[in-house]
Amino acid sequence: MLFPLESAIKADAETVAASDEYDIVIVGSGISGAIIAKQAAEAGKRVLILEAGTGANSTLAGYDNLLTTFYSAASKDNQSPFPLNANAAIPRSPQLRKLQAGETDSSSYIVQSGPYVSDTTYTRIFGGTTMHWEAKTPRLLRSDFKTRTIFGQGLDWPLSFEEIEDDYRLAEREIGVSANVEDQQYLGQTFPGDYVYPMRGLPLSYLDQQVNKGIEGTSVELYDKTYPLKVRPYPQGRNSIPNPAYDGGKGYRPIGAVDTHQVEEGGRCQGNTNCVPLCPVQARYHSGKTLAKAFAVNGKRGEQLVELLPQAVASKVNIDPDSGKVRSLEVKIYKDPASPAHETITVKGKVFVLAAGAIETARLMLASGLRSTSGLVGRNLMDHAYLLNWALMPEICGTMRGTSSTGGIVDLRDGPFRERQAAFAIDIHNDGWGWATGAPTSDLLELVDDRNLYGADLRHGMIDQVSRQLLLAFMIEVMPLESNRIAVDPQYTDALGNMRPILSFTVPEYTMKGAAYGRQFARTVFARLGAQDHTQYNPSDFGYVAYEGQGYAIRGGNHLAGTHIMGTTKTNSVVDKNQRSWDHENLYLVGGGSMPTIGTANVTLTLAAMCFRSGRDILKSLH
Amino acid sequence: MDSSSIKTLDELKEFLYRAMQLEHATIPPYLTALYSIKPGVNQDATQVLRVIVVEEMLHLTIAANILNAIGGKPDLVRPDFVTSYPASLPDGETDFKVGILAFGREALATFLKIERPAQRPEHLVGKGLIYRKTPPDITALASHPMHEDLHFYSIGEFYSTIAEGIKYLEAEAHGAGTTIFTGDRSRQITSEYYYSGGGELFPVTDLKSALEAIELIIEQGEGDGGGIYDDNDHELAHYYRFEELVKGRYYQKGDQPGHPTGPQLQVDWEGAYPIKENLKVGDIREGSELREAAIAFNTRYGEFLRLLTRAYNGQPSLLLEAVPMMFEFRNMILELIRNPLPKHPGKNGSPTYEIQGGIKQPAVTWQAEVNA
Repeated sequence: MLFPLESAIKADAETVAASDEYDIVIVGSGISGAIIAKQAAEAGKRVLILEAGTGANSTLAGYDNLLTTFYSAASKDNQSPFPLNANAAIPRSPQLRKLQAGETDSSSYIVQSGPYVSDTTYTRIFGGTTMHWEAKTPRLLRSDFKTRTIFGQGLDWPLSFEEIEDDYRLAEREIGVSANVEDQQYLGQTFPGDYVYPMRGLPLSYLDQQVNKGIEGTSVELYDKTYPLKVRPYPQGRNSIPNPAYDGGKGYRPIGAVDTHQVEEGGRCQGNTNCVPLCPVQARYHSGKTLAKAFAVNGKRGEQLVELLPQAVASKVNIDPDSGKVRSLEVKIYKDPASPAHETITVKGKVFVLAAGAIETARLMLASGLRSTSGLVGRNLMDHAYLLNWALMPEICGTMRGTSSTGGIVDLRDGPFRERQAAFAIDIHNDGWGWATGAPTSDLLELVDDRNLYGADLRHGMIDQVSRQLLLAFMIEVMPLESNRIAVDPQYTDALGNMRPILSFTVPEYTMKGAAYGRQFARTVFARLGAQDHTQYNPSDFGYVAYEGQGYAIRGGNHLAGTHIMGTTKTNSVVDKNQRSWDHENLYLVGGGSMPTIGTANVTLTLAAMCFRSGRDILKSLH
Repeated sequence: MDSSSIKTLDELKEFLYRAMQLEHATIPPYLTALYSIKPGVNQDATQVLRVIVVEEMLHLTIAANILNAIGGKPDLVRPDFVTSYPASLPDGETDFKVGILAFGREALATFLKIERPAQRPEHLVGKGLIYRKTPPDITALASHPMHEDLHFYSIGEFYSTIAEGIKYLEAEAHGAGTTIFTGDRSRQITSEYYYSGGGELFPVTDLKSALEAIELIIEQGEGDGGGIYDDNDHELAHYYRFEELVKGRYYQKGDQPGHPTGPQLQVDWEGAYPIKENLKVGDIREGSELREAAIAFNTRYGEFLRLLTRAYNGQPSLLLEAVPMMFEFRNMILELIRNPLPKHPGKNGSPTYEIQGGIKQPAVTWQAEVNA
């Protein structure tokens, strides 16, 4: 498709402020906002999207500039492509440092207190965190929706898997998920007889296959139950081969790149390995693709129904004290990312959707003084706890070939053990030890500085050192805890004077039990593979947690959830099962923040599915 | 019916072979120009060239689908398949050569000629093919298999002749209660194996799909003369994409040909490596690394064409293996293009595309076939 020109999608602040024609005002252009905007536009509604970032990456040239920034960055962390912008600051893990208990660090965007420091990140830019996500798209398991009932842990959803299943399929279509149904039928996951994913599954990497060879047919015991091991492919939000059987034989047409001039479309995954932070060929889904479709929808008079106002930071939600409804949003418009100079406008609409991610949505609610009947805004913050285990395989096994992660060991995502300890999914990382040690840069430095290698020796040294690297990333379940939370305090503000998020987080015991078991599990797997364990957790690490005499470095997974939790009543939750605020009739808080549990699934697919549901509810409320 | 029309299925097969040869012939010049661009400059030109190369590959595959549909056997390893550069193309009255050169004004002028929608001037309308003696060392692309010295006025005419031939032969077959579309359906390459560049592959199984396929090739290349976009209004023809680079401005919907009104773009005409035009392996000093690299590339490219031939002959899934090969080509071509050419001061190396010698084979093979 031919995407509209950048100039055509951008709204002008003055016009926006003067308008009272918007049906829906959405804060954030990530996947949640994009899905609701598209759905609304297709129903003929007028939509305004407020985006804190500059929006420059909505064009191909802008996207390519992010890539250039990434390629030239010394530190290849997951935020390195994104330009510094103090007006829409984002958390960056390299800025973190170890804190003592009770010590507070406000030097980076998220204010954190020791001893545990989370390296959780999200991206405030056009496309939101889908600009840097890994694009793994597993569904939650049936049991994940009722962990309280089944395991006595966490919270039950006000929705069952069955109620959300159709929306999962819509989300898989929107993202263009590549997977084979037969690979995903484990732990009781079922699909309607004729269902196929939009695109065929991406092949397992050679590394995956080597790991599978070493473990297939073996099993582990946990509380007297046996769990057979094998490497299974992950469903992924990146283009592979469209499945001709999709949609009753109609097939699926992949969505191309962000592009105003149709110079490159429909990139297929080339296995570039730097999926995180940024796919060089836009084979990986990002919400710009959904937004492009939304921008292309015209109204009856030929006008574009969805507008984007970039450099617009929502700063306050104004409530009508009589009706409790949202009256307007106060929005700070900055002219230049390098300067805090801004004007403040008021934006009116019929329905307001906060889709700024679990942390920013809660932050905005709290900064606006909206604390909700249940008092749960900002509470129950969740993110998967990642425990990294790394080893050297006995033979070269092609590390750095394939996308970031193509497969994993996922048979411990569920089981009766969840009454006592957290479940986990294990990602096999095709990009080697990068996440754990900074490889391959760290290997290069070592070979050059410490071993004086150059020329052919250096090349061979790199190949030998890197292509045997195996990283098993244990993605461990975290249950909601009210004390894990986001708060605000007027003493901590950003360049525009908006209150910054304050994060308080402890890794719950349930999760640490899973982590301790995971460490043992990794040792077992490494032994079966004949791989040499190089895992080391340093007590000076910012994510270091001691548990039962052992130390573990826990990483955040950026799968943020829980801060405006969904439930059955206004006293036990912030939003209802359509993600509508219990306290403010025309306000929807959407995204991961609504999720009562996150199980062992990356959150994007599920939150995308929920947004289809909310979109329908919003349209119903507008008639 | 004039003497230039297609009257037998074997003639049609030979025409389609030449169509594949023609579609392939644009790939080496575009690919070389693309990789000659220095890193960090000409972002827009890079994207334009890249997508056009991808679409030329699509056209090659579509031509293979048509040939397969009528029971032919695509053969990209026939000795004359890869042309020797420079080669000549039908382009109206003025002959011009397609060569291998760096990205720049001269290359772009040639590319525009390749993709130009050529319309016969009035005095030539209805005059049939144009007589032009081709020197023996020059490959005349899209020439007439039965009349080597008679040339089509344009690529469009060449394809129209094919379309007419298909219609004629199918009508004839229909009269005899049969069809020319007897090819094995499983040999068709479908969009499962190929999607990109906005184009889509569809199986060719009958007259309708065959004519649609020809239409798609013509429209994506030259445009149909009626507008700058294709009939779905989302595809800008190659000619106009190259024109965007010359004019320094993008087209947008509603624009008239020759008058793009979209955003401006920048072209750095000096932003390419100075490769030696139409280089041959024989021009590179013996024993030099560059010569080795040029030979290695030609060998690998030959393997690529063998793989494509197998893919087009019943093993479509082999196309997936061709993808990593394209990455190899990028690396091998960059090695050639970024290094100086010994004994040619100021000039860099280049791929030579001398595949199996690249020797022009007289049309004996075909003659033998029809005589048999």
